[in-house]
Amino acid sequence: MRTLTAFRMVVHDRSSTAGALLGVVAIVFLVGQQLSLLFGLLNYMSVLVDHSNADVWVMSGNIRNADAGNLISGRYIDRIVGLPEVKWAEPVLIGSGLFRTADGSYESVRVIGTRRPRLSLGPWQFFKADERALLDLESVTVDKLDLAKLGNPVLNQVTEIGHRRVRVRAITEGARGFQGTIVFASIDKVKEIARTPPGRYSAILVRLNRAPDSRIMARLRAALPKCSVYTTKELSYLTKKYYIANTGIGSSFGFSTVIAVLIGVVIISLTMYTSVLGRARDFAVMRAIGGRRRDIAVVVACEALIIAGVGVFVGFLMLVTLLNFTRGSAIPSFLPLFVSPALAIGAILVSFIGSSIALRVALKADPASVFH
Amino acid sequence: MRGPKMTTLRLEGIAKDFSDGAQMRRVLFPVTTEFEPGELTVLAGPSGSGKTTLLSIIGLVLRPSEGRMFFGDKEITSLSENEAARMRLQRYGFVFQQPMLIEGLSVLENTLLAFAVQGRRPPKGARQKAVKILNRLGLGESLHMQPRLLSGGMKQRASIARALIKDPAILLCDEPTSALDAESGQTVMRLLKRIAIEEGRVVVVVSHDARVFPYADRLVKIENGQIVSDTREQTQTEEVSQS
Ligand SMILES: Nc1ncnc2c1ncn2[C@@H]1O[C@H](COP(=O)(O)OP(=O)(O)OP(=O)(O)O)[C@@H](O)[C@H]1O
Ligand SMILES: [Mg+2]
Repeated sequence: MRTLTAFRMVVHDRSSTAGALLGVVAIVFLVGQQLSLLFGLLNYMSVLVDHSNADVWVMSGNIRNADAGNLISGRYIDRIVGLPEVKWAEPVLIGSGLFRTADGSYESVRVIGTRRPRLSLGPWQFFKADERALLDLESVTVDKLDLAKLGNPVLNQVTEIGHRRVRVRAITEGARGFQGTIVFASIDKVKEIARTPPGRYSAILVRLNRAPDSRIMARLRAALPKCSVYTTKELSYLTKKYYIANTGIGSSFGFSTVIAVLIGVVIISLTMYTSVLGRARDFAVMRAIGGRRRDIAVVVACEALIIAGVGVFVGFLMLVTLLNFTRGSAIPSFLPLFVSPALAIGAILVSFIGSSIALRVALKADPASVFH
Repeated sequence: MRGPKMTTLRLEGIAKDFSDGAQMRRVLFPVTTEFEPGELTVLAGPSGSGKTTLLSIIGLVLRPSEGRMFFGDKEITSLSENEAARMRLQRYGFVFQQPMLIEGLSVLENTLLAFAVQGRRPPKGARQKAVKILNRLGLGESLHMQPRLLSGGMKQRASIARALIKDPAILLCDEPTSALDAESGQTVMRLLKRIAIEEGRVVVVVSHDARVFPYADRLVKIENGQIVSDTREQTQTEEVSQS
């Protein structure tokens, strides 16, 4: 009956309910949207590492992220494949160049050179054509999201990157990095474009016979003392951490999330407070006819819970609509599975915090006041 | 007599001081008296004389500054806050000056809340009982209506139903008729009278409305926090029950 009373009060006090709902919805939607943007950007930061299909990355010594390393010698490959745990090792070369668009203007692109025929660190998802396109020396891929930027190249169109002739042979999907436009090409083409010395590469990708453990990593590190040797997971984490710490993204997201939560809490507090003030007499009556403080607390908590529940539902509905709308667009958005329940629980907790002032007022309801 | 609780309420030297800012002021001087079941007591007196204060102490919503109160053999002045709430839940019915129904709950739900305010489900048959009482009070048509749609008299009757549903041993009413027109006031008083007599409850009605006095079995007059007269009016009982 306390729950029913809470429900009836919530339904009856429409305007304050709507206000408090707005607060919860604002929290869920704004924070959720911020988080999806943040996680979307996080994905961008380590997109190449995460899709590399390798167990271990070998790069030049003392790297701080996957995007900035010196070139390393290809002779390390022999040392690596000499270890019994290693299945294969492949060099990759990452360079940058200017992509000439149809109208003669240029766009800066990162060219990922991958060795045939394994094409490790090659594209992982295609919109048009497939990875066979890259078996040809002059082929490059462009990403669907960058088509407009690159002047809408069509398949088999010939253009230049870094004054080298390339032919667009496939269109990828989801290959978007934090540092901009990603173009895949063969390793030899990237050598031409970036004019790197022969036999030197950006990284060596290693595949092991089993999951990497500390023993194998120690052996690899011992064999390659001048290199950074990381598991894919470690490198992904390192890269994300680097960008978050060094670009101000972390603090800016933290700040806007805190603001969103604060605004929500203030809205919830104020509306719940006025609602409970308006109900002070009812709570006094409930006390007089035998309700304990605890019972009043239950009613107020139930009100908060009902409002929070509905608010979380509506907020998520809006969030999902937004995410569906922005999926496949240039706006980064990604919500990992664990975020939704965490966000829901967080929003409910915040609603309780917001209703705590109201609760204090409700608990003050004096049963003796009903006689006045 | 139907009421199972033929228990007397006894006050021993109950007094109350209030502080008005700097100093304490005695608004109720020591009262020693008993309230018998089956008797309708009217507590009358001028405004500010301490009627509501006394009623609040009897109703366990206000603690006396001095004195003790017994319900049967049980001392009820020393109860903890939660024990007092439990006592109010189980033994007391309240009718306030304003009906004080909870908006949002229907008339029936308001009535049932008296059982369930501590969260326990209303006992079996509570619903039928509520419907029966509401019917008896002429609210059979309005069970599912919102309180705000009822007239003042109907609301007050609904609040009486809320007070009666638990078969309280003690029924306390503060100016139950003051918000009502003459006719509704008469109806309510007749009802309270019947409840006191037929069902053997302690009924205390605070009022300074002279139209209420004829219904009293006992008229207690308070002035300046002191009982100045206490009369039992046997003869009037018959007159009223005939009317
Ligand atoms: N909580 C309180 N704090 C201080 N003084 C109080 C308090 N409650 C009542 N009083 C004082 O106690 C006195 C008696 O008040 P009470 O409400 O009992 O009078 P009453 O007889 O019910 O009057 P009325 O007929 O106007 O309702 C008044 O002088 C009032 O100012
Ligand atoms: Mg009064």
